[in-house]
Amino acid sequence: MTNREKLKDLAVDVFLIDPAEFRLDLKREEIETWDSLGVVSLAVGIQETFGHHFTQDEAMGITGIPDIVRILEARGIRFDE
Amino acid sequence: MEVLIEHSAETSLAELTRQWDSPGTFAYVHEKSAAAASWLSTNPQLPQAYRKGHFCLLTSGSTGSPKLVVGRKQYSEELARVLDRAQDSEPVRETIVSLPLTYCYAFVNQWLWSKVMRRKLVLTPGFAKPEVFREALRRARDAMLCLVGPQAALLRNMFGGERFPGVVRLHFAGGRFPQERLSPLREMFPNAAVFNNYGCAEALPRLTVRRAGDGESASDIGCPLPGIELKSGEAGELLFRSPYRCVAQLDGQGFRPVAAGEWLPNGDLARDGGDGHWHLLGRSGEVFKRYGEKIALPQVLSSVNRQWQGLIGYYREKDGAGEDGYVLVLSPEPTGENLRGLMQVFRSSHPRTHWPLRIESAPALPLQPNGKVDSLAVRSMENRSLLWRQRI
Repeated sequence: MTNREKLKDLAVDVFLIDPAEFRLDLKREEIETWDSLGVVSLAVGIQETFGHHFTQDEAMGITGIPDIVRILEARGIRFDE
Repeated sequence: MEVLIEHSAETSLAELTRQWDSPGTFAYVHEKSAAAASWLSTNPQLPQAYRKGHFCLLTSGSTGSPKLVVGRKQYSEELARVLDRAQDSEPVRETIVSLPLTYCYAFVNQWLWSKVMRRKLVLTPGFAKPEVFREALRRARDAMLCLVGPQAALLRNMFGGERFPGVVRLHFAGGRFPQERLSPLREMFPNAAVFNNYGCAEALPRLTVRRAGDGESASDIGCPLPGIELKSGEAGELLFRSPYRCVAQLDGQGFRPVAAGEWLPNGDLARDGGDGHWHLLGRSGEVFKRYGEKIALPQVLSSVNRQWQGLIGYYREKDGAGEDGYVLVLSPEPTGENLRGLMQVFRSSHPRTHWPLRIESAPALPLQPNGKVDSLAVRSMENRSLLWRQRI
Protein backbone atom coordinates (compact mmCIF):
# COMPACT_ATOMS: atom_id res chain seq x y z
CA MET A 1 0.00 0.00 0.00
CA THR A 2 1.38 3.40 -0.94
CA ASN A 3 1.60 6.28 1.53
CA ARG A 4 -1.06 8.08 -0.45
CA GLU A 5 -3.38 5.10 -0.01
CA LYS A 6 -2.57 4.93 3.69
CA LEU A 7 -3.38 8.62 4.12
CA LYS A 8 -6.60 8.21 2.15
CA ASP A 9 -7.72 5.26 4.32
CA LEU A 10 -6.90 7.24 7.44
CA ALA A 11 -8.88 10.29 6.32
CA VAL A 12 -11.85 8.10 5.36
CA ASP A 13 -11.71 6.42 8.76
CA VAL A 14 -11.24 9.55 10.86
CA PHE A 15 -13.61 11.90 9.05
CA LEU A 16 -16.08 9.27 7.78
CA ILE A 17 -15.80 10.68 4.26
CA ASP A 18 -16.53 8.66 1.16
CA PRO A 19 -13.32 7.34 -0.46
CA ALA A 20 -14.28 9.19 -3.62
CA GLU A 21 -14.22 12.49 -1.73
CA PHE A 22 -10.54 12.18 -0.89
CA ARG A 23 -8.05 14.38 -2.75
CA LEU A 24 -4.51 15.36 -1.90
CA ASP A 25 -5.57 19.02 -2.09
CA LEU A 26 -8.58 18.58 0.23
CA LYS A 27 -9.06 21.54 2.60
CA ARG A 28 -10.27 21.34 6.18
CA GLU A 29 -13.27 23.57 5.48
CA GLU A 30 -14.50 21.11 2.88
CA ILE A 31 -15.01 18.41 5.51
CA GLU A 32 -17.61 19.22 8.16
CA THR A 33 -16.35 16.40 10.40
CA TRP A 34 -12.83 17.90 10.55
CA ASP A 35 -13.50 19.43 13.96
CA SER A 36 -11.26 19.83 17.00
CA LEU A 37 -11.78 16.24 18.14
CA GLY A 38 -11.14 15.18 14.55
CA VAL A 39 -7.74 16.87 14.74
CA VAL A 40 -6.89 14.81 17.82
CA SER A 41 -8.10 11.63 16.14
CA LEU A 42 -6.14 12.47 12.98
CA ALA A 43 -2.96 13.11 14.97
CA VAL A 44 -3.24 9.73 16.69
CA GLY A 45 -3.86 8.10 13.32
CA ILE A 46 -0.82 9.81 11.74
CA GLN A 47 1.38 8.58 14.56
CA GLU A 48 0.04 5.02 14.26
CA THR A 49 0.29 4.97 10.47
CA PHE A 50 3.40 7.01 9.72
CA GLY A 51 5.18 7.08 13.06
CA HIS A 52 5.21 10.87 13.24
CA HIS A 53 3.94 12.67 16.32
CA PHE A 54 2.56 16.11 15.44
CA THR A 55 3.79 18.94 17.64
CA GLN A 56 1.03 21.14 18.99
CA ASP A 57 2.01 23.91 16.55
CA GLU A 58 1.93 21.49 13.62
CA ALA A 59 -1.46 20.16 14.62
CA MET A 60 -2.93 23.65 15.08
CA GLY A 61 -1.51 24.84 11.76
CA ILE A 62 -2.96 22.12 9.58
CA THR A 63 -5.49 23.57 7.14
CA GLY A 64 -5.90 20.54 4.95
CA ILE A 65 -4.36 17.41 3.49
CA PRO A 66 -1.57 19.42 1.72
CA ASP A 67 -0.21 20.51 5.12
CA ILE A 68 -0.11 16.91 6.33
CA VAL A 69 1.71 15.82 3.19
CA ARG A 70 4.19 18.70 3.56
CA ILE A 71 4.94 17.88 7.21
CA LEU A 72 5.37 14.18 6.51
CA GLU A 73 7.49 14.74 3.40
CA ALA A 74 9.79 16.93 5.49
CA ARG A 75 10.40 13.77 7.56
CA GLY A 76 11.23 11.72 4.50
CA ILE A 77 7.83 10.14 3.99
CA ARG A 78 7.20 10.30 0.25
CA PHE A 79 3.84 10.79 -1.46
CA ASP A 80 5.03 10.96 -5.04
CA GLU A 81 5.28 7.17 -5.42
CA MET B 1 -45.18 -17.55 51.35
CA GLU B 2 -45.49 -20.17 48.65
CA VAL B 3 -42.89 -20.01 45.90
CA LEU B 4 -43.86 -21.20 42.45
CA ILE B 5 -41.02 -21.86 40.00
CA GLU B 6 -41.55 -21.39 36.27
CA HIS B 7 -39.67 -24.26 34.63
CA SER B 8 -41.74 -23.88 31.52
CA ALA B 9 -45.01 -22.09 31.21
CA GLU B 10 -46.92 -25.31 30.54
CA THR B 11 -45.81 -27.08 33.69
CA SER B 12 -46.73 -24.32 36.07
CA LEU B 13 -49.85 -22.83 34.49
CA ALA B 14 -52.44 -24.82 36.45
CA GLU B 15 -50.61 -24.20 39.69
CA LEU B 16 -50.31 -20.51 38.84
CA THR B 17 -54.08 -20.27 38.41
CA ARG B 18 -54.63 -22.12 41.68
CA GLN B 19 -52.30 -19.78 43.54
CA TRP B 20 -53.96 -16.71 42.10
CA ASP B 21 -57.41 -17.92 43.08
CA SER B 22 -56.38 -18.94 46.56
CA PRO B 23 -56.35 -16.30 49.32
CA GLY B 24 -52.66 -16.66 50.13
CA THR B 25 -49.71 -14.68 48.82
CA PHE B 26 -47.29 -16.40 46.48
CA ALA B 27 -44.10 -15.63 44.60
CA TYR B 28 -43.66 -16.61 40.96
CA VAL B 29 -40.02 -16.97 39.96
CA HIS B 30 -38.28 -18.16 36.80
CA GLU B 31 -36.13 -21.25 37.18
CA LYS B 32 -33.06 -19.24 36.17
CA SER B 33 -33.60 -17.29 39.38
CA ALA B 34 -33.33 -20.42 41.50
CA ALA B 35 -31.03 -18.76 44.01
CA ALA B 36 -33.62 -16.09 44.62
CA ALA B 37 -36.31 -18.74 44.95
CA SER B 38 -34.24 -20.56 47.53
CA TRP B 39 -33.75 -17.36 49.46
CA LEU B 40 -37.48 -16.66 49.31
CA SER B 41 -38.50 -20.04 50.61
CA THR B 42 -36.26 -19.76 53.65
CA ASN B 43 -36.82 -16.09 54.37
CA PRO B 44 -40.54 -15.35 54.17
CA GLN B 45 -40.13 -11.86 55.53
CA LEU B 46 -43.40 -10.42 54.32
CA PRO B 47 -45.27 -8.65 57.13
CA GLN B 48 -48.60 -10.12 58.15
CA ALA B 49 -50.62 -7.58 56.17
CA TYR B 50 -49.09 -8.82 52.91
CA ARG B 51 -49.53 -12.55 53.44
CA LYS B 52 -52.97 -12.69 51.84
CA GLY B 53 -54.22 -11.33 48.53
CA HIS B 54 -50.81 -10.50 47.11
CA PHE B 55 -48.32 -11.89 44.65
CA CYS B 56 -44.60 -11.34 44.16
CA LEU B 57 -42.50 -11.20 41.01
CA LEU B 58 -38.76 -10.95 40.79
CA THR B 59 -37.33 -8.15 38.71
CA SER B 60 -33.69 -7.97 37.85
CA GLY B 61 -33.79 -5.77 34.77
CA SER B 62 -30.62 -4.26 33.49
CA THR B 63 -29.68 -2.68 36.79
CA GLY B 64 -28.15 -5.88 38.12
CA SER B 65 -29.90 -5.42 41.47
CA PRO B 66 -32.65 -8.03 41.75
CA LYS B 67 -35.63 -7.25 43.89
CA LEU B 68 -39.04 -8.66 44.56
CA VAL B 69 -42.02 -6.48 43.77
CA VAL B 70 -45.16 -7.20 45.78
CA GLY B 71 -48.46 -6.58 44.04
CA ARG B 72 -52.04 -6.74 45.20
CA LYS B 73 -54.06 -9.22 43.15
CA GLN B 74 -57.08 -6.96 43.06
CA TYR B 75 -55.09 -3.98 41.72
CA SER B 76 -53.58 -6.01 38.90
CA GLU B 77 -56.94 -7.46 37.90
CA GLU B 78 -58.22 -3.88 37.63
CA LEU B 79 -55.23 -2.94 35.50
CA ALA B 80 -55.90 -5.87 33.19
CA ARG B 81 -59.39 -4.45 32.57
CA VAL B 82 -57.98 -0.94 32.07
CA LEU B 83 -55.50 -2.31 29.55
CA ASP B 84 -58.25 -4.16 27.74
CA ARG B 85 -60.07 -0.87 27.13
CA ALA B 86 -56.98 1.24 26.43
CA GLN B 87 -55.69 -1.26 23.89
CA ASP B 88 -59.10 -1.80 22.30
CA SER B 89 -58.77 -5.54 22.89
CA GLU B 90 -62.42 -6.46 22.39
CA PRO B 91 -61.78 -8.23 19.04
CA VAL B 92 -58.91 -10.27 20.47
CA ARG B 93 -59.70 -13.95 21.01
CA GLU B 94 -56.32 -15.21 22.14
CA THR B 95 -52.93 -14.00 23.26
CA ILE B 96 -49.68 -15.62 22.13
CA VAL B 97 -46.98 -15.75 24.78
CA SER B 98 -43.33 -15.64 23.74
CA LEU B 99 -41.80 -14.43 27.01
CA PRO B 100 -41.52 -16.08 30.42
CA LEU B 101 -44.75 -15.59 32.35
CA THR B 102 -42.66 -14.60 35.37
CA TYR B 103 -41.84 -11.41 33.45
CA CYS B 104 -44.37 -8.88 34.74
CA TYR B 105 -45.26 -7.75 31.21
CA ALA B 106 -46.27 -11.25 30.12
CA PHE B 107 -47.75 -11.94 33.54
CA VAL B 108 -50.18 -9.01 33.63
CA ASN B 109 -50.68 -8.09 29.96
CA GLN B 110 -51.13 -11.69 28.88
CA TRP B 111 -51.68 -14.32 31.56
CA LEU B 112 -53.78 -12.20 33.90
CA TRP B 113 -55.54 -10.41 31.04
CA SER B 114 -56.54 -13.74 29.51
CA LYS B 115 -57.80 -14.94 32.90
CA VAL B 116 -59.76 -11.80 33.74
CA MET B 117 -61.14 -11.26 30.24
CA ARG B 118 -61.69 -14.99 29.65
CA ARG B 119 -59.59 -15.29 26.51
CA LYS B 120 -57.38 -18.09 25.29
CA LEU B 121 -53.73 -18.17 26.33
CA VAL B 122 -51.39 -19.68 23.72
CA LEU B 123 -48.08 -20.64 25.29
CA THR B 124 -44.97 -20.87 23.13
CA PRO B 125 -41.25 -21.13 23.88
CA GLY B 126 -40.78 -17.92 21.87
CA PHE B 127 -37.52 -17.49 20.00
CA ALA B 128 -35.94 -20.30 22.01
CA LYS B 129 -37.74 -22.62 19.57
CA PRO B 130 -38.49 -20.47 16.53
CA GLU B 131 -40.29 -23.20 14.58
CA VAL B 132 -42.79 -23.75 17.38
CA PHE B 133 -43.28 -20.02 17.74
CA ARG B 134 -43.72 -19.57 13.99
CA GLU B 135 -46.37 -22.30 13.90
CA ALA B 136 -48.32 -20.55 16.66
CA LEU B 137 -48.19 -17.32 14.65
CA ARG B 138 -49.37 -19.15 11.52
CA ARG B 139 -52.31 -20.61 13.44
CA ALA B 140 -53.17 -17.33 15.16
CA ARG B 141 -56.79 -16.30 15.04
CA ASP B 142 -57.62 -12.76 16.17
CA ALA B 143 -54.54 -12.91 18.34
CA MET B 144 -52.63 -10.46 20.50
CA LEU B 145 -48.85 -10.84 20.48
CA CYS B 146 -46.70 -9.19 23.16
CA LEU B 147 -43.00 -8.71 22.45
CA VAL B 148 -40.10 -6.68 23.74
CA GLY B 149 -38.41 -4.16 21.46
CA PRO B 150 -35.29 -6.16 20.57
CA GLN B 151 -37.45 -9.04 19.37
CA ALA B 152 -38.47 -6.94 16.36
CA ALA B 153 -35.01 -7.61 14.91
CA LEU B 154 -35.33 -11.33 15.67
CA LEU B 155 -38.70 -11.43 13.94
CA ARG B 156 -37.23 -10.03 10.78
CA ASN B 157 -34.15 -12.23 10.88
CA MET B 158 -36.04 -15.44 11.53
CA PHE B 159 -39.44 -14.97 9.90
CA GLY B 160 -38.68 -12.27 7.32
CA GLY B 161 -40.88 -12.46 4.25
CA GLU B 162 -43.69 -14.33 6.00
CA ARG B 163 -47.09 -12.85 6.83
CA PHE B 164 -49.18 -13.60 9.91
CA PRO B 165 -52.65 -12.19 9.23
CA GLY B 166 -54.17 -13.82 12.32
CA VAL B 167 -52.40 -11.40 14.64
CA VAL B 168 -54.61 -8.36 15.19
CA ARG B 169 -52.74 -6.70 18.08
CA LEU B 170 -48.98 -6.34 18.31
CA HIS B 171 -47.59 -4.91 21.53
CA PHE B 172 -44.07 -3.88 22.42
CA ALA B 173 -42.78 -3.16 25.90
CA GLY B 174 -39.37 -3.48 27.47
CA GLY B 175 -36.49 -1.85 25.66
CA ARG B 176 -37.00 0.88 23.14
CA PHE B 177 -40.06 0.80 20.90
CA PRO B 178 -39.09 -0.30 17.35
CA GLN B 179 -40.59 2.75 15.62
CA GLU B 180 -38.07 2.49 12.78
CA ARG B 181 -39.13 -1.08 12.01
CA LEU B 182 -42.85 -0.41 11.70
CA SER B 183 -42.96 -0.87 7.93
CA PRO B 184 -41.58 -4.42 7.91
CA LEU B 185 -43.69 -5.22 10.97
CA ARG B 186 -46.82 -4.07 9.17
CA GLU B 187 -45.91 -6.24 6.21
CA MET B 188 -45.45 -9.21 8.51
CA PHE B 189 -48.61 -8.49 10.52
CA PRO B 190 -50.91 -6.82 7.95
CA ASN B 191 -53.99 -6.88 10.20
CA ALA B 192 -52.39 -5.87 13.46
CA ALA B 193 -52.77 -2.62 15.34
CA VAL B 194 -49.35 -1.90 16.84
CA PHE B 195 -48.98 -0.44 20.33
CA ASN B 196 -46.13 0.94 22.37
CA ASN B 197 -46.61 -0.20 25.96
CA TYR B 198 -44.49 1.59 28.50
CA GLY B 199 -43.98 0.86 32.15
CA CYS B 200 -41.75 -0.85 34.66
CA ALA B 201 -41.83 -3.70 37.13
CA GLU B 202 -42.57 -1.31 40.01
CA ALA B 203 -45.69 -0.13 38.16
CA LEU B 204 -46.76 -3.78 37.69
CA PRO B 205 -46.25 -3.02 34.92
CA ARG B 206 -47.95 -0.44 32.69
CA LEU B 207 -47.92 3.33 32.85
CA THR B 208 -48.72 4.48 29.31
CA VAL B 209 -49.96 3.09 26.02
CA ARG B 210 -49.61 4.59 22.54
CA ARG B 211 -50.82 3.40 19.20
CA ALA B 212 -47.80 3.31 16.91
CA GLY B 213 -49.41 5.73 14.48
CA ASP B 214 -50.07 8.36 17.16
CA GLY B 215 -46.41 9.35 17.31
CA GLU B 216 -43.33 9.43 15.14
CA SER B 217 -40.55 8.85 17.62
CA ALA B 218 -39.57 5.75 19.56
CA SER B 219 -39.17 7.98 22.59
CA ASP B 220 -42.88 8.97 22.50
CA ILE B 221 -44.49 6.75 25.12
CA GLY B 222 -47.95 8.29 24.73
CA CYS B 223 -50.41 9.22 27.45
CA PRO B 224 -50.72 7.83 30.97
CA LEU B 225 -53.39 5.19 31.47
CA PRO B 226 -56.52 6.32 33.34
CA GLY B 227 -55.76 6.87 37.02
CA ILE B 228 -51.99 7.06 36.52
CA GLU B 229 -50.02 10.28 37.04
CA LEU B 230 -46.55 11.09 35.73
CA LYS B 231 -44.19 13.96 36.51
CA SER B 232 -40.55 14.88 36.01
CA GLY B 233 -38.30 15.34 39.01
CA GLU B 234 -35.70 18.07 39.35
CA ALA B 235 -33.10 16.08 37.40
CA GLY B 236 -35.58 15.02 34.75
CA GLU B 237 -36.22 11.65 36.36
CA LEU B 238 -39.63 10.15 35.63
CA LEU B 239 -41.84 9.72 38.69
CA PHE B 240 -45.17 7.93 38.69
CA ARG B 241 -48.15 7.48 40.95
CA SER B 242 -50.45 4.58 40.11
CA PRO B 243 -53.36 2.79 41.75
CA TYR B 244 -52.02 -0.44 40.19
CA ARG B 245 -48.41 -0.10 41.41
CA CYS B 246 -46.51 -2.58 43.51
CA VAL B 247 -47.41 -2.14 47.16
CA ALA B 248 -44.00 -3.13 48.51
CA GLN B 249 -40.50 -4.04 47.46
CA LEU B 250 -38.17 -6.59 48.99
CA ASP B 251 -34.46 -6.69 48.22
CA GLY B 252 -31.12 -7.05 49.93
CA GLN B 253 -31.87 -3.86 51.85
CA GLY B 254 -35.00 -5.39 53.34
CA PHE B 255 -38.74 -4.87 53.02
CA ARG B 256 -40.12 -1.49 52.01
CA PRO B 257 -43.85 -0.73 51.72
CA VAL B 258 -44.98 1.66 48.98
CA ALA B 259 -47.56 4.15 50.20
CA ALA B 260 -50.71 4.83 48.20
CA GLY B 261 -49.84 8.40 47.25
CA GLU B 262 -46.10 7.87 46.90
CA TRP B 263 -44.29 9.10 43.80
CA LEU B 264 -42.00 6.34 42.56
CA PRO B 265 -38.98 6.73 40.26
CA ASN B 266 -38.41 4.04 37.66
CA GLY B 267 -34.89 4.93 36.53
CA ASP B 268 -35.90 6.64 33.28
CA LEU B 269 -35.56 10.30 32.36
CA ALA B 270 -38.56 11.83 30.60
CA ARG B 271 -40.33 15.07 29.79
CA ASP B 272 -43.93 16.10 29.29
CA GLY B 273 -44.47 16.88 25.61
CA GLY B 274 -47.23 19.36 26.46
CA ASP B 275 -49.79 17.52 24.33
CA GLY B 276 -50.50 14.75 26.81
CA HIS B 277 -47.72 12.57 25.43
CA TRP B 278 -44.57 11.86 27.41
CA HIS B 279 -41.14 11.47 25.86
CA LEU B 280 -38.32 9.33 27.18
CA LEU B 281 -34.88 10.89 27.35
CA GLY B 282 -33.18 7.66 28.40
CA ARG B 283 -32.18 5.72 31.46
CA SER B 284 -30.45 7.71 34.16
CA GLY B 285 -27.17 6.07 33.11
CA GLU B 286 -27.79 6.60 29.39
CA VAL B 287 -27.59 10.37 29.46
CA PHE B 288 -24.16 11.80 30.06
CA LYS B 289 -21.87 14.64 29.08
CA ARG B 290 -18.99 14.25 26.67
CA TYR B 291 -16.66 17.19 26.09
CA GLY B 292 -19.35 19.40 27.57
CA GLU B 293 -22.08 18.16 25.28
CA LYS B 294 -25.08 16.26 26.58
CA ILE B 295 -25.46 12.85 24.96
CA ALA B 296 -28.76 10.96 25.14
CA LEU B 297 -27.85 7.45 24.03
CA PRO B 298 -31.42 6.45 23.11
CA GLN B 299 -31.50 9.22 20.50
CA VAL B 300 -28.20 8.08 19.03
CA LEU B 301 -29.33 4.45 19.05
CA SER B 302 -32.51 5.50 17.30
CA SER B 303 -30.37 6.68 14.37
CA VAL B 304 -28.46 3.42 14.40
CA ASN B 305 -31.73 1.51 14.38
CA ARG B 306 -32.86 3.25 11.23
CA GLN B 307 -29.84 1.93 9.38
CA TRP B 308 -29.06 -1.37 11.09
CA GLN B 309 -31.58 -4.20 11.12
CA GLY B 310 -29.70 -6.55 13.47
CA LEU B 311 -29.34 -6.49 17.23
CA ILE B 312 -27.71 -3.54 18.97
CA GLY B 313 -25.83 -3.58 22.26
CA TYR B 314 -23.56 -1.08 23.92
CA TYR B 315 -21.49 -0.52 26.99
CA ARG B 316 -20.08 2.58 28.59
CA GLU B 317 -16.38 3.38 28.58
CA LYS B 318 -14.15 6.42 29.01
CA ASP B 319 -11.83 7.57 26.23
CA GLY B 320 -8.10 8.27 26.58
CA ALA B 321 -8.84 11.75 27.91
CA GLY B 322 -11.09 10.38 30.64
CA GLU B 323 -14.29 11.61 28.96
CA ASP B 324 -17.43 9.45 29.11
CA GLY B 325 -18.26 7.54 25.97
CA TYR B 326 -19.75 4.29 24.78
CA VAL B 327 -18.91 1.31 22.60
CA LEU B 328 -21.49 0.12 20.08
CA VAL B 329 -21.81 -3.65 19.55
CA LEU B 330 -23.67 -5.03 16.53
CA SER B 331 -24.83 -8.56 15.85
CA PRO B 332 -24.50 -10.33 13.50
CA GLU B 333 -21.38 -8.89 11.87
CA PRO B 334 -22.38 -6.18 9.40
CA THR B 335 -21.21 -6.22 5.80
CA GLY B 336 -18.83 -3.52 4.64
CA GLU B 337 -21.76 -1.80 2.97
CA ASN B 338 -23.82 -1.95 6.20
CA LEU B 339 -20.96 -0.43 8.14
CA ARG B 340 -20.37 2.36 5.60
CA GLY B 341 -24.08 3.17 5.69
CA LEU B 342 -23.96 3.36 9.46
CA MET B 343 -20.93 5.62 9.40
CA GLN B 344 -22.73 7.91 7.00
CA VAL B 345 -25.58 8.15 9.49
CA PHE B 346 -23.16 9.25 12.18
CA ARG B 347 -21.51 11.74 9.83
CA SER B 348 -24.74 13.26 8.59
CA SER B 349 -26.85 13.20 11.76
CA HIS B 350 -24.55 13.47 14.75
CA PRO B 351 -21.58 15.54 15.91
CA ARG B 352 -18.41 13.60 16.62
CA THR B 353 -19.09 13.66 20.36
CA HIS B 354 -22.10 11.41 19.68
CA TRP B 355 -20.07 8.86 17.76
CA PRO B 356 -19.14 5.65 19.57
CA LEU B 357 -15.59 5.20 20.80
CA ARG B 358 -15.57 1.93 18.90
CA ILE B 359 -17.89 -0.19 16.82
CA GLU B 360 -17.60 -3.89 17.51
CA SER B 361 -19.50 -6.94 16.32
CA ALA B 362 -20.28 -10.34 17.77
CA PRO B 363 -21.92 -13.45 16.31
CA ALA B 364 -24.67 -13.15 18.93
CA LEU B 365 -25.54 -10.85 21.81
CA PRO B 366 -26.43 -12.11 25.29
CA LEU B 367 -30.13 -11.74 25.96
CA GLN B 368 -31.98 -11.69 29.24
CA PRO B 369 -34.89 -14.15 29.66
CA ASN B 370 -37.23 -11.31 28.73
CA GLY B 371 -35.54 -10.89 25.34
CA LYS B 372 -33.72 -7.63 26.04
CA VAL B 373 -30.04 -7.34 25.24
CA ASP B 374 -28.11 -7.86 28.47
CA SER B 375 -25.97 -4.71 28.48
CA LEU B 376 -24.03 -5.80 31.55
CA ALA B 377 -22.98 -9.04 29.86
CA VAL B 378 -22.11 -7.41 26.52
CA ARG B 379 -19.04 -5.73 28.01
CA SER B 380 -17.56 -9.04 29.21
CA MET B 381 -18.13 -10.99 25.97
CA GLU B 382 -14.90 -12.43 24.64
CA ASN B 383 -15.71 -12.93 20.97
CA ARG B 384 -16.15 -9.31 19.95
CA SER B 385 -14.46 -8.06 16.77
CA LEU B 386 -13.29 -4.48 16.29
CA LEU B 387 -14.83 -2.83 13.20
CA TRP B 388 -13.97 0.82 13.73
CA ARG B 389 -12.54 3.12 16.40
CA GLN B 390 -12.28 6.85 16.97
CA ARG B 391 -8.59 7.02 17.94
CA ILE B 392 -9.25 9.30 20.91
